[in-house]
Amino acid sequence: MSDELPEQFDLVVIGTGFPESCIAAAASRIGKTVLHIDPNDYYGDVWSSFNLEALNQLLEQPSPSLLNASYTWHDAATETNWTREALLAKSRRFSLDLCPRIAYSNGELVKLLIKSNICRYAEFRALDHVCMLYNDELVSVPCSRSDVFNTKTLSIVEKRLLMKFLTACADNGEDKCNEDTLAFRGRTFQEYLEAQKVTPKIASCVLQAIAMCNANTSFEVGMQRTQRFLGSLGRYGNTPFLFPMYGCGELPQCFCRLCAVYGGIYCLKRSVDNICQATDSQELLLSSAGKTLRATHVVSAPGYLPGMVCELQPHISRGLFIASSALGSEELNKGGGGVNLLRLLADEGKREAVLLQLSHYSGTCPEGLFIFHLTTPAVSNDPAADLAVFTSQIFKAPAPQILYSAYFTLTTPTNTALSPVKSVYCTAAPAYELDYDAAIENAHQIFSQLYTDAEFLPRAPDPEEIVVEGEDPSALNENSLPEDLRAQLQEMDITE
Amino acid sequence: MAKTYDYLFKLLLIGDSGVGKTCILFRFSEDAFNTTFISTIGIDFKIRTIELDNKKIKLQIWDTAGQERFRTITTAYYRGAMGIMLVYDITLEKSFENIKNWIRNIEENAAADVEKMLLGNKCELNDKRQVSKERGEQLAIEYGIKFMETSAKASINVEEAFLTLASDIKAKTEKRMEANNPPKGGHQLKLTESRTKDSWLSRCSLL
Repeated sequence: MSDELPEQFDLVVIGTGFPESCIAAAASRIGKTVLHIDPNDYYGDVWSSFNLEALNQLLEQPSPSLLNASYTWHDAATETNWTREALLAKSRRFSLDLCPRIAYSNGELVKLLIKSNICRYAEFRALDHVCMLYNDELVSVPCSRSDVFNTKTLSIVEKRLLMKFLTACADNGEDKCNEDTLAFRGRTFQEYLEAQKVTPKIASCVLQAIAMCNANTSFEVGMQRTQRFLGSLGRYGNTPFLFPMYGCGELPQCFCRLCAVYGGIYCLKRSVDNICQATDSQELLLSSAGKTLRATHVVSAPGYLPGMVCELQPHISRGLFIASSALGSEELNKGGGGVNLLRLLADEGKREAVLLQLSHYSGTCPEGLFIFHLTTPAVSNDPAADLAVFTSQIFKAPAPQILYSAYFTLTTPTNTALSPVKSVYCTAAPAYELDYDAAIENAHQIFSQLYTDAEFLPRAPDPEEIVVEGEDPSALNENSLPEDLRAQLQEMDITE
Repeated sequence: MAKTYDYLFKLLLIGDSGVGKTCILFRFSEDAFNTTFISTIGIDFKIRTIELDNKKIKLQIWDTAGQERFRTITTAYYRGAMGIMLVYDITLEKSFENIKNWIRNIEENAAADVEKMLLGNKCELNDKRQVSKERGEQLAIEYGIKFMETSAKASINVEEAFLTLASDIKAKTEKRMEANNPPKGGHQLKLTESRTKDSWLSRCSLL
């Protein structure tokens, strides 16, 4: 097989971040010829995970999509054996995300992975606890029925109230003229909650952790989020959330793998220097590394399109901490540490941040260490200052022993990225969201513009279901075949 | 459904384009050889169950899906792999030289204790040989791994190679299990794994 790149493609995708990889996989899956390139020498772009050394290198050389970067060692102050040298010696055991996310067990990402069968490339860890801060104390929000029975956080009366409230939420909407809730349309979810006469602690549970609301969240949105939370319970593990093993950087790679399995070609460390419309056809001409490629369509991550000045603004402020102890009580960190979620509020609920604690069970750090990912919508060009109001809430006595901290800003283009050249599409920068809903929506939408009416990532058959030319199909277990193939097989038997 | 095997091992094939990784995979899994496999899309791993010491071992063998072509194997490819077949072509010096790079790539991305084996493929083409058997043996000794010359086309040593690798992994796995230290994994999402109908919240009149 030659190492020469073909010259003609249906689609060239620039950048291997999450939405680009989705589009590449979806196009390849329906038989389009795809070239997928990335100027970086790693997969995932700003959606990638890095080992400790690689993260430091990245932070030392900020790019337009990652600004205001810095990192600090705090090892001198510690009494643990985790010195800077000890951490760096285990550098490769870290998988540090720029864009940490979690997935609702019944959310868009999980549905897409299952529907497309890309789930065979990924592994997940169910989150151990969904937490909230109540009266300065970190407590676990009961998620399962046994949680509610066993929790010491709530009194008997509160348990009843919480169950009653959540049951009402789960049922809401089934009866269209639900008189109880009709009155709250157009008002806030908090007003609805107050009207249910729940205790302040229950209100906290619901607002902070379950509905993930603030004071201004509308009744409809709050209800929808509560139902999403409830709808993802009892599927895998104790909470409604999953975290991808080895970090979120694995996910774009899973889509890339599918693209490659269907014939997509991958080239890292490769960029496009120029794009123009061909004079003799509808195609686009791309010059890349001294070569001219022809493509019907081009999809690019923001910032990688040549000749397109893209003004960027701070979008997400990130903090990343490595510690030698976990956050919260022993109860929250049974068996060596949990993978826990905590949503933080500040400024009377006007600002929020998401804290994700990862233990070695997530495959992202060595045993005995913990990673804290802190994420908030950017309000300035100083990520540490943006996050100070949240770090002060969590890193106080008895605070986890922080060994390393890093801060950076992720950016987004100010203008809706409209390309000057027709047939060139730009994906969106990572949004501030818990799951991947917006990213999937973005990918799906671009895919639909490229290929109207084509199905977005239909199920890829399992290897056992594929009959290769020259193979004896009857050697396969007939019953494990999909119905259409089984019918074909039976037809063959008859004709023979 | 009852488990039909005692162990499940994930194995990888690594090496330059065109050394015959896919052919080795098909020789072992289907006992077939066909030069048109290359154009077969949609296949990323093959499964074959073997028996060793009365244990049923399900081997899940992953192909590179062509991502090795421009040295762009994803790091995710290496996750959870327990054994790796490093393949070169005895008629192509370059593919042998590149084994060093592939080993570096494995060291960077795979688990530290992954079992490795070196295969010099296309040994039926002796008249076109560029890499002597001794050099292959020497390199394997250098890395402390096992070595075999194989031919997917003439069906030489392919079966033996996989059985050797599987048996080494089995020995290692059983040793670890005796030490009572099984590796900890996560969830794999399953189509069939559906929510218990009516979750705990709906119609709960107890509380």
